[in-house]
Amino acid sequence: MAERELELIFGPQHLGMIGNLSISLNVEGDTILSARVNPGYLHRGFEKLMEYRNWIQNFPLVCRINMIESEPVEMVYAMAVEDLAGIEVPERAQYIRTMIQEMSRLSCHFTAAWAYTSILGFDTPAQWAMGDRDYLLDLFEDLTGARVYHIYNMPGGVRRDLPEGFEDKLLAFLDAIHNRLPDYNSTFFENRLFYERASGIGKISPEDAIEMGGTGQVLRGCGIKHDIRKLEPYAAYSDMDLEVPTREAGDAYSRVLVIRDEMVQSVSILKQCIEKMPSGKVYEKTPNPFKWKIPKGETYVRVESARGEFGLYLVSNGGNRPYRAHFKTPSFVHGLVILERLLKGANIADVGNIMLSLYVIAPEIDR
Amino acid sequence: MNDMVDLLKSIFKGTDARTLGENRLSVTTPGESVLAVLDYLKASGFYQLKSISCVDWIDDNEFELVYHVASLERPLHIMVKTRIDRDKPVFPTAMSIFKNAGIFEREMHELFGVMFEGNPDLNPLFLDNWKDIPPFRKDFDMRKYVKDTYDSIPSFEEYKWQKEN
Repeated sequence: MAERELELIFGPQHLGMIGNLSISLNVEGDTILSARVNPGYLHRGFEKLMEYRNWIQNFPLVCRINMIESEPVEMVYAMAVEDLAGIEVPERAQYIRTMIQEMSRLSCHFTAAWAYTSILGFDTPAQWAMGDRDYLLDLFEDLTGARVYHIYNMPGGVRRDLPEGFEDKLLAFLDAIHNRLPDYNSTFFENRLFYERASGIGKISPEDAIEMGGTGQVLRGCGIKHDIRKLEPYAAYSDMDLEVPTREAGDAYSRVLVIRDEMVQSVSILKQCIEKMPSGKVYEKTPNPFKWKIPKGETYVRVESARGEFGLYLVSNGGNRPYRAHFKTPSFVHGLVILERLLKGANIADVGNIMLSLYVIAPEIDR
Repeated sequence: MNDMVDLLKSIFKGTDARTLGENRLSVTTPGESVLAVLDYLKASGFYQLKSISCVDWIDDNEFELVYHVASLERPLHIMVKTRIDRDKPVFPTAMSIFKNAGIFEREMHELFGVMFEGNPDLNPLFLDNWKDIPPFRKDFDMRKYVKDTYDSIPSFEEYKWQKEN
C-alpha cells in the first residue's frame, strides 16, 4: 500500500475518447500504480441479436459494431457468409470492396488523428482531420447513399456499381490529401512538441506484444512486419502493390508514425484500384433472403482493419440464421490487456495519449 | 498442412483434425488433452492466441469451446475445439500457456457461465448486476427478457392515471 494512494476514474466521457470506456486508476502523486479498464457502456449484445435475424437482415446490424469504421465488419461478415454458402465474388466487386476498405481505413485514421491531436491540444490539425474526413464521407454518400453505416457489402458482391464520375472525384480528393500531408507532418507528426510528448511513452517490447495478443500498429510499431493484407490476401489485395510500414521503438510515437505511413499506403492503393479496375458485374445473385438456408458448417475469416486483425467465427447449423457469431476485435485485447499493462507506472497526463496510440475504440470492445 | 493433420492425430489420442478451406484447420479433441494440444501448437510456431469462442449446442446438452491460435508468419489459422458438459460447465484455464487467455475466459464466463478453474479474475466484464441466467445461452429468451424488464415500467400517462385514481 502506497502512502497516499487515491482512486481516480478516467472516463467514460472524455474528449478524444472514441466511444465510452472508463478506466479506474490507482494513483500516487501523478504516477499510476495500477489501472483497471471497465468496459460495458456500449454493450448491446450484437452477437446474440444476430441469432434472431436471417442472413441478410444482419448486415444493418453488424456495421454498428464499430461506428468509426463499419466497412471491415460488413466485409468480414459478407466473406464469412460467402465462405459458408460457397459463393464466388465477381472480380469487379472485389476491386470495389478493396477500394471501399481503403477509403474506410483513411477515414478511420483521420478520426484517430482528430482524437489524438485534440487530446494533446493540437487544435489546428484536429480541425483539418475532421474536415478531410468529411470529404471522404461525401464520397461514401455518393457511392453507397449513406455516410457512416454504408450497408454496401452483400454476400456475392456489392450492392451497386460505381456512380458516374466517381473515379474523378476520388482522384481529386486523393490529390488534395497528397498535397495536405506535408502540412500534417509539420503541424503534428513531425512536430517537436508532439515528439516530446509521445516518444518513450507506452513502450512495449515485441515479445510482450505477441504474447498479449497484439495486432496491427501495436506489432508494426515494434518492428514486426505483420499485415493480414500481405499474409492472407483477401478481396483484390493480391493484385495490389503494398508495403507494410514498421517502426522499431515500440512507443506511442512509433505507432502514430505507422498510422501516418499507412495513410500514404492507402492513398497509393486507392490510385492502383482506380487504375486497374476491371469491368463486369458487381453482384452475384443470391437466393431469396427469406428462404435462404446455409449448409451446416463453421468458418473463421479475418481482414486487416485500421487497427489490426478483425476476425469473425461464424457457425451455421443449416438454418436460415446464424447459429453463433463471435467477433475477434483488435480493440478487445489492445484495450483490456495491453492498455492496463502499459498504464502501470505512467503519468496521469499520458492516459489518453497511451490509449489513443493503442487505437482503442470502445464500441468494438463491448459489441 | 496435411502433415500437421497426421501429426496431431498420431500424437494425441482421440483427436480428429480436418482442413476447412485453404488456410484453416479444425482440431477436435477430448477435454483432457486440450491444454496439451495448445502447448504443442505453441511450441510448433502457433504462438498467438487470438480468441476463445464458446458455442451452446443445446440439443446435445454441451458447450463447445473454440481456441483460435495462429502464427504471425504463416497464414494457417487453427481452431482447437472441445465439448464440455452443459450442466457442469467447468474447464481448466489456459493462462499457464497463453497469458492473454484470461480476458477471453472472463468474457465467456460472463456470457455463457463457463467456469474456468484457476483463473483468478472472473469478474463481470460488460453486464451490471445481472441476475438472470447467462445471456448468450440458447435458452435465454431475449424477447421475453425485454418484455418482462421494460414493459413493467409504466408510461408517464399510465403513471398519472394510476395516481389520480
